[in-house]
Amino acid sequence: MSDVNNYHEEEVLGKAYDARLMKRLLTYIRPYRRWLLLAVVFLLLGSLFQISFAFITQIAIDEYIGSGDQAGLLRMALIFLVAVILASGAAYAQLYITQWLGQKVLHDIRMQVFAHLQSLRLSYFDKNPVGRLVTRVTSDVNVLNEMFSSGVVAVIGDLFMLALIVGALLYYNWKLALITFVVLPLLVLATFLFRAKVRRIYREVRTRVARLNAFVQEHITGIRLLQLFVRENHTFDEFNDINRDLRSVHFRGIYYYAIFFPTVEIIGALSLALLLYYGGVQINEATLTFGELVAFIHLVERFYRPIRDLSEKYNILQASMASSERIFALLDTVPADGGGDGNHSRSFKGGISLEKVWFAYKPDEWVLKDVSFTVEPGEKVALVGATGAGKTSLVSLLYRFYDYQRGSMKLDGVELTDWSLGRLRSHLGLVLQDVFMFTGDYAGNIRLRDQRISDDDVKRALHRVGFDRFLETLPDGIHTEVQERGATLSTGQKQLLSFARALAFDPDILILDEATSSVDTETELLIQKALDELLKDRTSIVIAHRLSTIEKADKIVVLHHGEVREIGTHNELIQQPGIYQTLYRMQYQKPAGQEPSPAAKSK
Amino acid sequence: MNADKQPHPPGPFDTITKYLRRYRGYLIAGGVCIVCSNLLILVLPYITKIIFDLLENKGTDSERLHWVLAMVGLAILSGLFRFLTRRTVIWMSRRVECDLRGEIFRHLLTLSPSFYDRTRTGDLMAKLTNDLEAIRMMVGPGIMHLSSTLVTFVVALAFMLYLSPRLTLYALGPMLLFPLIANRVGNMVHRRAMKIQEHFSVLTAAVQENIAGVRVIKSFRQEDNEVEHFRSLSQKYLGLNMDLARLYAMMVPLLMTLASLLTLIALYFGGLEVMSGAVPLGTLVAFFAYLSMLIWPAVALGWVVSLYQRGKASLERVNRILETEPVIRDEPGELHVGEMRGQIEFSNLRFSYNGTEVLRGINLTIEPGRTIGLVGRTGSGKTTLVSLLARMYPVPRGQLFIDGVDINDWELSALRGQISFATQEPFLFSASIGDNIRFGADSATDEAIETAATTAALTRDVRTFPDGFGTMVGERGITLSGGQKQRTAIARAIVAAPAVLVLDDATSSVDTETEAEINRNLASVLEGRTSIIISHRISSVKQADRILYLEDGRIIEQGSHDELVQQGGHYADLYRSQLLAEQLDKL
Ligand SMILES: Nc1ncnc2c1ncn2[C@@H]1O[C@H](COP(=O)(O)OP(=O)(O)OP(=O)(O)O)[C@@H](O)[C@H]1O
Ligand SMILES: Nc1ncnc2c1ncn2[C@@H]1O[C@H](COP(=O)(O)OP(=O)(O)OP(=O)(O)O)[C@@H](O)[C@H]1O
Ligand SMILES: [Mg+2]
Repeated sequence: MSDVNNYHEEEVLGKAYDARLMKRLLTYIRPYRRWLLLAVVFLLLGSLFQISFAFITQIAIDEYIGSGDQAGLLRMALIFLVAVILASGAAYAQLYITQWLGQKVLHDIRMQVFAHLQSLRLSYFDKNPVGRLVTRVTSDVNVLNEMFSSGVVAVIGDLFMLALIVGALLYYNWKLALITFVVLPLLVLATFLFRAKVRRIYREVRTRVARLNAFVQEHITGIRLLQLFVRENHTFDEFNDINRDLRSVHFRGIYYYAIFFPTVEIIGALSLALLLYYGGVQINEATLTFGELVAFIHLVERFYRPIRDLSEKYNILQASMASSERIFALLDTVPADGGGDGNHSRSFKGGISLEKVWFAYKPDEWVLKDVSFTVEPGEKVALVGATGAGKTSLVSLLYRFYDYQRGSMKLDGVELTDWSLGRLRSHLGLVLQDVFMFTGDYAGNIRLRDQRISDDDVKRALHRVGFDRFLETLPDGIHTEVQERGATLSTGQKQLLSFARALAFDPDILILDEATSSVDTETELLIQKALDELLKDRTSIVIAHRLSTIEKADKIVVLHHGEVREIGTHNELIQQPGIYQTLYRMQYQKPAGQEPSPAAKSK
Repeated sequence: MNADKQPHPPGPFDTITKYLRRYRGYLIAGGVCIVCSNLLILVLPYITKIIFDLLENKGTDSERLHWVLAMVGLAILSGLFRFLTRRTVIWMSRRVECDLRGEIFRHLLTLSPSFYDRTRTGDLMAKLTNDLEAIRMMVGPGIMHLSSTLVTFVVALAFMLYLSPRLTLYALGPMLLFPLIANRVGNMVHRRAMKIQEHFSVLTAAVQENIAGVRVIKSFRQEDNEVEHFRSLSQKYLGLNMDLARLYAMMVPLLMTLASLLTLIALYFGGLEVMSGAVPLGTLVAFFAYLSMLIWPAVALGWVVSLYQRGKASLERVNRILETEPVIRDEPGELHVGEMRGQIEFSNLRFSYNGTEVLRGINLTIEPGRTIGLVGRTGSGKTTLVSLLARMYPVPRGQLFIDGVDINDWELSALRGQISFATQEPFLFSASIGDNIRFGADSATDEAIETAATTAALTRDVRTFPDGFGTMVGERGITLSGGQKQRTAIARAIVAAPAVLVLDDATSSVDTETEAEINRNLASVLEGRTSIIISHRISSVKQADRILYLEDGRIIEQGSHDELVQQGGHYADLYRSQLLAEQLDKL
């Protein structure tokens, strides 16, 4: 099956190498490692002060309350107060730094993912639903929050504590310490089993959430169609399946960690029980004193606290790993190659040449076959052909949205692949067949985010495409709001805006792909007049089904099923029998035998 | 629902209380488990004490073994309760999440196009995932931790009261500050959490638009600018999160301090009491043990408050959707559901979008089975006119009738089910081509689909695809050419075999030859069926029984092609200008 057939399923990721993942995740902290250290210090200080509460109370009771020393008691109370304030201060500093750290790292990752997404080739976007990619940038990244904001610091703190306590245990009584550790393999086993299960769950959760977002994204954008075709119930059923699927994965997840956390506690109790029993045996054998055992048990209780914390953090870690796998898979997708160094210092003329170009979206399904033609600088070339002939694909190749498999394609005498992508595209201006409008205002939709294009430029471009008559009626002129995808505009209006956008960028080569297909004839003629002047010495490629728009082209290339069939001027082509002649006849005359040419009739 | 009977104003929680009621079994069971597991945990230290006593009093090994085993048993039992707690409470929260998400999505499906005209897709995506997660955290872990906290609190308090009501009184004073702080800080958390969630929507919408518009962004080299724009959004998100984090970083130590102050007060005043002999020293020591048990719940309380406020903020956001009434829905009362003949009558119809009048008095009667051509300049209101036939926007009463029945009296699904559209912008779903065509008629056979595709001159394209009609297309049909998308949309419209067929500029991206073929094929489809064909090209509407010329929301010319050409008005001008090029040739 081809990958498009798996459109809704995400690729299955290979075996996870936790160490490698973890190492990669931690690289994001590196720039902030000083802060991390500081947070750990505050954490430890905080715990120290916490412990001091008990000592202070102890001393107060033993030394002062017992002896009735009121002044001493007051002194201890004040010391206690100071300790409380210090502990709170440390806790505040630690919490603040860790949260800040987490948010910073998240911001970095989010930016990296978003920026990387901008560099990917178009075929990646053909293969991935919008909602899935949105999930990667937003919620997948947010899953990492807990790990970076509290996780890392807490784990370091816990490990530190653990090391201290293990040392203390061994120092105190190594025999009892070993008894305490006897249950640790059990703990390792439980963790190991849990890891395998829960990671699978989290992986599934991430893909299900992406699937849900993709579904919502697609069906909200298509909601008008759904309602027109009365598909609400059907759509809801589909949604419900996805929704329930996500729930059932969560259910399984609940099951696993509902078992895991109590298991850790039970293991803790088990070790305490062992200790109490064998400690008792040792006491009876008089190799251990009673006080020693009490002290030891206190330590063991402290030993299990970080372990319990760690097991909680382990869960967070698994969730983070599962989403980081997806994020890294995106980051590891090879970006579109940026092309050559683009060192073309001589002035740009604007010729295009294609030589035996072969192109397929999917292996062996050739869309363009052996296409050769040239566009001289300053020439206006029209591309004509039946729908699906490959006209739009050809333009995509020029933009290097996709790369051709064979042959050679040159702009200004330089192979496309030797151009730097940015430079290449900066020479081209395209009116896309599928219009797209952004949320914002009219001006923002024309200049996009290019601040070099002034309001006057915007107005001029709008004037050229005959948008003035609409502009007059707008409350805030070019600063009137535009909704997502231009929802409140007519299709023709959107097309005009998209046309104006290309003109505002004032490109060296203008490419019009069905740029006026939804525009009325009057406006179309108006645009044509403006274009005649605009295109005088400019290279341009025009794709149109309405031949009137292309008759004045210097050269017409007729494409049929991905092959060039005819090349010539309008006058040459209508003389010779062929596709163009047929098309021309179709448009302006009825085939022989029917009513006479309307042109003849109307005057 | 019984909400009607209760006069109290709807609160933000009405949305979820019905689910909590539905799952109250889980809630009650969960509550019992929480109480049991917490009580058992409190018993464990007691057993430790017994074992110590045994050791002190030289008890036998087997005696000790008993207690040790009892301890393990209790731990297992408590673990079991903890397991059950999660299985019930968290389980329930996932159910509530799923149900609520379903409810929201179902509601979204009923909302009218005007709602979607002003709503960003990313915002809805954020609400259906991110906000729901916040709500779930409130309902699941929130309730779970709150209950544990309460149980611990009550138990500790009970023991403290038992030990010394007097000392308890000292400690209780500052304890009254807890709810006060929780409330004050809670309100701040709420405001900040709301801002965060709102901004997450903005962030999501920005990414969604960026990806959906990737072709424009790439062709105009806006990648770097987009990254910069996104950076500012992400930075703001960071800032808003820090606003909340700062609060949280403050609240936790504050509550911890308060809890420690209890110890301090008990220590000082308790100490004085001990000195004066009012309270025995042992009691004070035991009292401290219980006070220390309160520190953790105090911190947990902060967490619960934050969960609660975040959840509440998200709930309010979600409620905004649920409270939006669909502008267009079935009116109460008897509705018309019968088979449609296809007689359409506009009677001085006026229509405006948010105050801008787009249709200014349309008078028109279309007899069943007729084909109407509709032409007019861009923005003249053609699409608007036909969209009213399906009641996509509200139509005033008495201005539009189908089969003599006011359009508002038609059952919506009966109305829309019998009118079929090839929309101006062909929207396809990411499914196979066959399924996209079948969209309007679930029961359509493969032959019917192929016939429709053939009518739309699509079959020969589909044949060149290795998977034929099973070929998957990308979202919005991105893997098809413009003309292929349009023809799929035409096939989709005709396979539904509707009473009224509307083709809105449906062949604008199709070449002349194919267009002629489609027009030829359509003749038999249009027969006996009311149809409206919108086009900028005369060739598509020429054959219509009647052609309307729309300008500025009014029909200014109508008649057959020949009549209109004879009249020499706008239509004739249009016709001439489409032929201009050829005339120039002839000169
Ligand atoms: N992104 C894509 N992935 C896979 N196949 C594609 C993609 N885009 C187009 N195709 C296929 O390539 C062929 C040529 O499409 P193209 O868009 O180039 O045609 P076109 O000549 O521009 O047609 P039209 O006049 O209808 O716009 C079609 O069969 C189409 O299905
Ligand atoms: N959902 C909407 N909300 C607000 N205004 C709208 C909405 N849809 C269309 N309009 C406005 O109403 C007017 C008529 O739009 P309509 O889409 O009906 O034009 P049209 O005749 O179909 O044009 P075209 O030939 O470009 O398709 C336009 O000025 C448009 O901007
Ligand atoms: Mg329209």
